[in-house]
Amino acid sequence: MEFKPVDWKRGIICGVIAGAVWGCLAITINTASRAFIFEETLLHRLITFTVGGAIFGMVVSGVLSMTHYWMSFRNIFLEAICISVSLWGILEAGGILLHFIKPGRFHLDIAQIVQGIFLAFIMGVLLGFLWKIGKRANC
Amino acid sequence: MEKVVVGGQSLRKVLLPSLIVFGVAFALVVIVYGLDSIAPGVHDVFHDFRHVIGIPCH
Repeated sequence: MEFKPVDWKRGIICGVIAGAVWGCLAITINTASRAFIFEETLLHRLITFTVGGAIFGMVVSGVLSMTHYWMSFRNIFLEAICISVSLWGILEAGGILLHFIKPGRFHLDIAQIVQGIFLAFIMGVLLGFLWKIGKRANC
Repeated sequence: MEKVVVGGQSLRKVLLPSLIVFGVAFALVVIVYGLDSIAPGVHDVFHDFRHVIGIPCH
């Protein structure tokens, strides 16, 4: 049995970078898909999506740091995608629950949900890519 | 079975980053559900973000 230290620093840094890039990508993807018509200014969007993305990225990367040594996947990309989509799914489940509690307040939009799954997938790919680069740099 | 412990970490080194991640996870929940009762104004500030990532909103 082998215990390995959790590399928190790498996890947090990779998460913030991947999340900030992901936030900007989310703006671009939504502009192309038109799943949601933006209501705020570009500057406001850039700030909120970068901050929101960085926070989401940190959480995904933090969970990846904790689970990396016992997850059965051999591929960091698959691990990151699995965690990212799972975390998004948990948050979405909470949102769907709120929809059933207050249907007049929380509206479900299938196009936005499909876009959300796709974005979670993209977050996994970005994070996997950064983790791979980080691992090579450590070698 | 052989037991090998590689590079033991001090409590501070483990506790601080894990607290940061859990704190950030809490912030994520506040942002995603727009919990104004916890952080006033967070609902409106992250309204577009919430819709784009597919979380139900008004």
